[in-house]
Amino acid sequence: MSLLAIQNLRLSIGDTPILHRIDLDLEAGKVLGIIGESGSGKSMTSLSIMRLLPAGSAASGAIHLNGTELLGQTEKQMCGIRGREIGMVFQEPMTALDPLKTIGAQVAETIWVHDQMSRREAMAEADRVLDRAGLPRSLFPRDRYPHELSGGQRQRVVIASAIALKPKLLIADEPTTALDVTTQARILDLLRRLVDEDGTGLIFITHDLAVVAGLADDVAVMRHGDVVEAGPTRDVFRALAHPYTRQLFDASSHVPRRDPSRSGWPGEPSGDRSDTAQERPGGEPVLVVDSLIRDYRLPPRHFLAPAGKFRAVDGVSLRIERGENVGLVGESGSGKSTLARAIMALEPAQGGSIAIDGTPLSDRDLVSRRKLQVVFQDPYGSFDPRQRVETLITEPFHLLGADAPHGAERRARVDAALTDVGLSPADAGKYIHEFSGGQRQRIAIARALIIEPSLIVLDEAVSALDVSIRAQILDLLAELSDRLAISYLFISHDLSVVRSITDRVLVMQNGKIVETGPTAEIFANPQHPYTQELIAATPNLERALQSGLLSRTAGEGDHAKHGGGGGPTL
Amino acid sequence: MSEIVIASPDAPRGTLLRTALRSPSFVIGALITLLFIAMALLSFVWTPYPFAAQDIPHKLRGLSAEHWFGTDQYGRDVFSQILVGARTSISVALIAVGLGIGVGVPLGLWAAARRGSLLDEIIMRLNDLVFAFPALLIAILITSVFGPSATNAIIAIGIFNIPVFARLTRAAALSLWTRDFILAARVAGKGAVRISLEHILPNILNTLVVQITIQFSLGILAEAALAYVGLGAQPPTPSWGKMLADAQTLISLAPHLALIPGLCIVFTVLGLNLVGDGLRDIFDPRLQRSRR
Repeated sequence: MSLLAIQNLRLSIGDTPILHRIDLDLEAGKVLGIIGESGSGKSMTSLSIMRLLPAGSAASGAIHLNGTELLGQTEKQMCGIRGREIGMVFQEPMTALDPLKTIGAQVAETIWVHDQMSRREAMAEADRVLDRAGLPRSLFPRDRYPHELSGGQRQRVVIASAIALKPKLLIADEPTTALDVTTQARILDLLRRLVDEDGTGLIFITHDLAVVAGLADDVAVMRHGDVVEAGPTRDVFRALAHPYTRQLFDASSHVPRRDPSRSGWPGEPSGDRSDTAQERPGGEPVLVVDSLIRDYRLPPRHFLAPAGKFRAVDGVSLRIERGENVGLVGESGSGKSTLARAIMALEPAQGGSIAIDGTPLSDRDLVSRRKLQVVFQDPYGSFDPRQRVETLITEPFHLLGADAPHGAERRARVDAALTDVGLSPADAGKYIHEFSGGQRQRIAIARALIIEPSLIVLDEAVSALDVSIRAQILDLLAELSDRLAISYLFISHDLSVVRSITDRVLVMQNGKIVETGPTAEIFANPQHPYTQELIAATPNLERALQSGLLSRTAGEGDHAKHGGGGGPTL
Repeated sequence: MSEIVIASPDAPRGTLLRTALRSPSFVIGALITLLFIAMALLSFVWTPYPFAAQDIPHKLRGLSAEHWFGTDQYGRDVFSQILVGARTSISVALIAVGLGIGVGVPLGLWAAARRGSLLDEIIMRLNDLVFAFPALLIAILITSVFGPSATNAIIAIGIFNIPVFARLTRAAALSLWTRDFILAARVAGKGAVRISLEHILPNILNTLVVQITIQFSLGILAEAALAYVGLGAQPPTPSWGKMLADAQTLISLAPHLALIPGLCIVFTVLGLNLVGDGLRDIFDPRLQRSRR
């Protein structure tokens, strides 16, 4: 008999149906990946199992966990099941932990809520569990607070409290989405190891096909509250029987079509990879950054001590040619966002120079900033909710001062910008809340395009989007770059995205650029150890399908042997 | 799911009035407040009797058809005095709150735009300084130095509204300054003043409106308190607080003299607080979501 059997689960909140007829099965010791885009109902399915649904929701059908019907349990009985029988790991490890509790108490709490044992015993048990989760006592005393740990370490604490009572079922809802790739790889290893050792069933919810391909035994693909396809991971991904699965698969590995006659950057052979750009003819570079330094002040150690400083960007030099797309990759804390902010003149630099189209950039001088625009990550936060689209996208006209277009010309520019990004001129009169995430990102691009810049900084511009929307936005960006000869500085932690759209990649670590070269060369043959590590840690759909499943089945014993190795270095 | 949560603050546009009318506390509070404002306006054109006209033979009468709220110890019509008193209370509170907004909001915006700087520090520490003194004490100080009058009461109450609005504005503005759309405006070369006026101020109006109703009710209370100790509007201008003070020696003879102005103060403050509560509910995106 299977560990978890969901039959004919339906859910509605108020009058809105959320889930229609969900059927899922999970065996003990197996991993079930649930894939879907936002709004597909994947999180609601897991909340139905936990019976943690929002007020006003009505669920029907049957959810059997080890033969117990969960939907029929009283709230009091459910309190006994949550934490003991079912553990849960959330996406955001910062908000899932109580900031006022030490990590030991955090985990011990789960234990003594359920088991009648003393606090001392619970703390001792918590100690053992944290150890299993890869946080040995010697390096992580149990009186640490969550804010003293990194994101990956916090996620280990969350996992430790989820597995503290050896639940039969573990639900992980996008547990690695907020983490860097190398950290993600380690957390995935940990989850797989725990499943193998304890015989726990794991439901792994994600939007990332590559992650699932490397981890899950079975997958279920969800869309609009339905399971459109389910089965063993390899069969589903090999056959791609359902059109939606195929669509997701294509979108995940999407490479925007680019005009080869214009650029020819990607495959260009070159002896000296760091100087490829300089060999290109075609006038002045769009952006020249020369030994840029950006320091942050640190609070002094004591009252009279001199203030310390932290060098976030350490002597970075780079140049971007006209029409060239450059990727800037690195993990959080590598300084890539700080570099971007300095290039946008949002923060003062402590040394070095920045020139755009040959003009030195200055904070006060609006003219020097006309050639530079930016698209941010969060399509929800990057617009003033109280202004209409027309006002929003014409904001950069401020840079033109007296030259800003008026009347009919202004109207024509707005129409052209909206049409360029695939929206209609009629959208100019709407407010931003009337648009979806993907449309908002198009509006953000329209805002960047409207003053015809030479360079657009794309700061994680597609990271918050669903895969199919992401593919569309990447296509749009590629098309615009070809047609308007705009250069992009594409900042991302997602190597697969950078790989698909850029000509050249800069790899950043600890405020320095450690490697640079044509995208294809860097990905095929990374030289710097950090680049190698990044590329190895990035989940890769093809690689996972070809080797991941096979090697894992063969190497299951190894997981147990390697134990907590690699954990503390997060 | 996350989409709903993030998108909701922008959503209520257009349906705001409809949502407001569905909130019982807002409707009741608004009706009470409007009633007192109507009374204050009415007093400009009509009162049953001239409010200062004495009629000693008919002193200390109870409620009757000729004198709805009775008469006081000089035979003056209490209803007429209440009407004019509403005018005094409301105008003092209104101007005082206006003073607080006019000075406090720009200071708060300025401090937020220059967050972390010496200027921010100076503005906020001065605010703390004002906060550190008991409000009534300073009011008494001002009125005793410059003489008791409605104008000095306004200044005294107004000064204490400044740090309230400065702090609130700064706190609300600070969280907005970290948003991407402010970054986008900065990339468009807009300066701090322009961003504050075009982006920050419209987005913190909700918060300010709620605070305004609360400060307004506190202003009415403060005016009554100052008038009660004789530091507000001077006779013959009637004021609810002054009426209370005059009535206390006669409380056993004519309890209505104390009761009526007292109830007026209670109901005005209650009405304004209900409006404030209602507005807070209406503007709160979390409550908004469950209501839609």
